[in-house]
Amino acid sequence: MSSSSTALRELQRDLENKANDLSKLQKDIAKNHQVRKKYTIQLGENELVLKELDLLNDDANVYKLIGPVLVKQDLAEANANVRKRIEYISAELKRLDGSLQDLEEKQHSKREAILKVQQRIQSHQAGKAKE
Amino acid sequence: MGKPEVKGTVTSLSSMFPPEEVQKAAKMVEGKLSEKQNEMNQLKEFIADNASLINLVQKLPDELHHDIMVPFGKAAFFPGRLIHTNEFLVLLGESYYADRTAKQTVEILKRRGKSLVSKVDALKAGIQDLKAEASFFDSTASEVAEDLVEIREYEEDNSTERASQSGPVELESPSVAEADNKVSSSEDDEYARLMSRLEELEKEELAAEDDGENDEDEDANANAAETETETDGDEDELTEAAFHRKKDEGYSSLDHGQRSLESQPRKQLQQSKGKDPMNEEMPTKYNHQGLTNQLACTGLTAEPVTKGEISHSRIIHQDTKMLNPPVNASVRSEKARSKQNVHDSSRNEKPVQTPKSEFDSSKAFTGSIIEHTENLEKKLPEQKTTSSQSSDSKPSKPVSRFKMQRK
Repeated sequence: MSSSSTALRELQRDLENKANDLSKLQKDIAKNHQVRKKYTIQLGENELVLKELDLLNDDANVYKLIGPVLVKQDLAEANANVRKRIEYISAELKRLDGSLQDLEEKQHSKREAILKVQQRIQSHQAGKAKE
Repeated sequence: MGKPEVKGTVTSLSSMFPPEEVQKAAKMVEGKLSEKQNEMNQLKEFIADNASLINLVQKLPDELHHDIMVPFGKAAFFPGRLIHTNEFLVLLGESYYADRTAKQTVEILKRRGKSLVSKVDALKAGIQDLKAEASFFDSTASEVAEDLVEIREYEEDNSTERASQSGPVELESPSVAEADNKVSSSEDDEYARLMSRLEELEKEELAAEDDGENDEDEDANANAAETETETDGDEDELTEAAFHRKKDEGYSSLDHGQRSLESQPRKQLQQSKGKDPMNEEMPTKYNHQGLTNQLACTGLTAEPVTKGEISHSRIIHQDTKMLNPPVNASVRSEKARSKQNVHDSSRNEKPVQTPKSEFDSSKAFTGSIIEHTENLEKKLPEQKTTSSQSSDSKPSKPVSRFKMQRK
């Protein structure tokens, strides 16, 4: 009987651990979502900027706000910078997508493991009750 | 012919959609909806600001310089001048600025306004979807509260599923009146659903135009089955039968063709429900009808049939009284149109194998209660219509009767 109760306690501890891991995973997934959102918005904005830059004449003045300083920039340079930024953001998004998939899979497997542990606990308790 | 096996499941909606969960889902949808509303409000503000900004930008270059009060710090102003009134440093996004004239600035602003408007439209669509979801959840919640039951029946031959909802399931054998009353409450919903089904069935009908006589046989069977089921008080079948009859009657006020088409699904249902109870109950309740069946199957006299018809018609009339008044009116109109129903039924052709006892509403109520087994080769449905017309008519030959009726 004591052995079964210790086994039961072990199982419960195991369950707690797994539950913690699951909640951590969920937090990670939520963070991932948030970052993805931010990046998506930035990507949209950059595409808008690119459009406007294309509409400018070649001799128009373009400035970039770096901190409190408004720096004059070359149109071509600005174009190149914006395009690079767009590429960088898309790459980041892809990376985030991959990691999100990963996290979701892990979460799924954790859930299954938790279920199994729960079932074992239940069977243990049923066995105990019989005694 | 093998009888099509009918499997059915009755699941109470409350088991499929537990009420708490339905409420939770409804709340979630409401939350999302409110979020979207907030976003929508924000976007609308942006659009308003953009419009006023465009106005300002258009007005500024009217003067070479404007005299204004310039803000200085947190709480001070000093008089000053606004010069270079045609030069604007426009934020393009992502901390990029560009020098533009007033006109060009206005163009930029207008483009921004367009994108905002498109965002608002997308949000509106999303809100509409959420609202539909919310209304669905509300309706399921109310249905669950009313203890509605979902009934599904499977016909193996066609492997078609016909799901229908009946009124609240009663623990004791419900009287026909009760069933009908409750059924009527859900009728309107059913109408809408059935109408959409009509089109499907129409296609089926056209495809199966060769079995008109079989259909008539099935009609008789369905009619007999229906009345039997109703009087027997078999809960589900009763309610469904009554329900379907109601549907029939409701539809009878519509096109004839539609009726015949509708009869198909009901036939299927009727067959699935009707055959079994009919076979079970016939020996107990309507022995003479059982006789009729056999005789009908062998194509013999119609006297027992007429008896059955009379009894059935009596029952039917009882039922009609209990049904809604419009139904009664439709019943009478159906009688007048029984001929045309025969026409239509002849178009209802289905493969012999399929257990679709077409249930023409008119036929049901015109007392054509010729009970047939699944042996659809016998063509006795004509007797139904003709017998409704003249109780003394003898079904010498279904075909001839049919012709007689047409004349």
